[in-house]
Amino acid sequence: MKVEEVVLPGVGRKFTIEVQSGDRLVVVVHNSGKRELQYYEKGEDDEPTAALDLTDEEARELGAILAGVLFHPEAVGDTRSKLGAQVFEWIPIPPGSPWVGRRVGELPLPPGAHLLALDRPGAPLIPNPPPEALLEAGDTLVLAGSREAIEAFKRGLGKG
Amino acid sequence: MHPSVEAFAIAAGLLALGAALVHRLGFPPLPVYLLTGLLVGERLPTEALEPLPSLGFLLLLFSVGLEFGPDRLQALSGKAIRAGLWDALALPLGVLLGLFLGLDLRGSLLFAGVVYASSSAVIVKLIIDLHRAANPESEVVLGVLVREDLVVALLLAFLGGQGAGFFLSLLLVLAYLLLARYLGPPLVQFMGTLSDELVLLLGASFTTGSALLFHALGASEGVGAFLSGVIAASLGLRERLEHLFGPIRDLGVALFFMVVGASALALLQEPSPLAILGAALGLLLKLPLNLQGGKAAGLGRKRRVYAGLYLVPRGEFNLVLGLLALKQGYPLVAQVALFLVLVSIPLGAVLIRFAPEVYRLLEGPREKPAKLEARR
Repeated sequence: MKVEEVVLPGVGRKFTIEVQSGDRLVVVVHNSGKRELQYYEKGEDDEPTAALDLTDEEARELGAILAGVLFHPEAVGDTRSKLGAQVFEWIPIPPGSPWVGRRVGELPLPPGAHLLALDRPGAPLIPNPPPEALLEAGDTLVLAGSREAIEAFKRGLGKG
Repeated sequence: MHPSVEAFAIAAGLLALGAALVHRLGFPPLPVYLLTGLLVGERLPTEALEPLPSLGFLLLLFSVGLEFGPDRLQALSGKAIRAGLWDALALPLGVLLGLFLGLDLRGSLLFAGVVYASSSAVIVKLIIDLHRAANPESEVVLGVLVREDLVVALLLAFLGGQGAGFFLSLLLVLAYLLLARYLGPPLVQFMGTLSDELVLLLGASFTTGSALLFHALGASEGVGAFLSGVIAASLGLRERLEHLFGPIRDLGVALFFMVVGASALALLQEPSPLAILGAALGLLLKLPLNLQGGKAAGLGRKRRVYAGLYLVPRGEFNLVLGLLALKQGYPLVAQVALFLVLVSIPLGAVLIRFAPEVYRLLEGPREKPAKLEARR
């Protein structure tokens, strides 16, 4: 599989994915969150065979399905998937959060909640982030653990 | 109540009406704002609307700087760069055309800039509104626009002042770019901790302040706003500011285009044939260059035609250049700029909207002889 990424100034980013069969999929992620998809058959450069527009939410659901993550509609609102009694949770650090500029080690992780990774836009995923790593605005914490522990962590995070 | 509220209410209502009408037809609203200004300009107290139109214009250039700054150059693909080179040929050809129209060298350079610059603001909006972002030609067109905006910003800084003002404005541009380069990275972390309101106010005061500073030094205020955008992008504020300023900018830009339409009325009543000739030639000059550029970028026949049509609309920078030309004593160039903007935005919007039909019209009769030749 070949993936090519280009910036579309003022619009967003464009990913061109060429799959084994030679067909191509073009995905444009708009700055507004909208996604545009185009499908080109092998050998056809000019005219897409099909086109599709998705909202941000639809695109995320599709992404979860494609990634093989079981999707549970009851968790609408949060990006969350469930593995028995354990949950995965993606928690963003928005700009202006009191945690921007502080260390990973300072995060109030209760027993039973584990920080798996730090997802920083424009950087490779940081698995198992070291305690001295600094949090930046736009980071997303990837956590796993029991639902209670994760909820407790989210409450603690809100308090700063 | 302040009288400006009444003017604003009428203007916003008229613009909303116009936008609603074209929205049903699947058209972008920008040309309608211009036409609304032309239609009602005489009866509308446009002066009372200030500073919203001026602010809209500065924010427009600010967001062009934000999205089309020098850091985008590195992200450009080779094909966009090749297309940009062909496109840039419009500058020397524009200078020749300017000399042919009887302008001196400075006037010809201004004229060339007016011919060369396509409007990234208008084109980006058209590409998004018409769902063309994923098409192959959009990547090339947007890459070409990055190069154009940087070249025109440099041209504006270069032509902005005369004598001492010229060196001052060049120094100022250099200072801003160095600021972005060296002060940017250490400030990124700090800006992340600021709240949205603070960033909004800081951004607004920085943009308008820079515009005032450039203006005070005899340079173009548009360059000041553009450079503010470039700096904000280097501070890692691109997405945030785009998000925060978007709605304010759109409101201001709508009013700005209406005011431009209103002020164009006087010019249209006594059009100089030379200016019409210049605008028409300027509009035609870029088409073959962009077709050739599309070919260099590896686009197919059809996508080449699309790319050429996409680059028809002229807008923000052409008006800036026109205003500068007027200030420096080249009313002809100012008239050309105004004609170009007034004609090319509605015309470009129609051409882009109906690009598939235009292509079929162009290609229909040509296809048959091509096949015959192939058989021979």
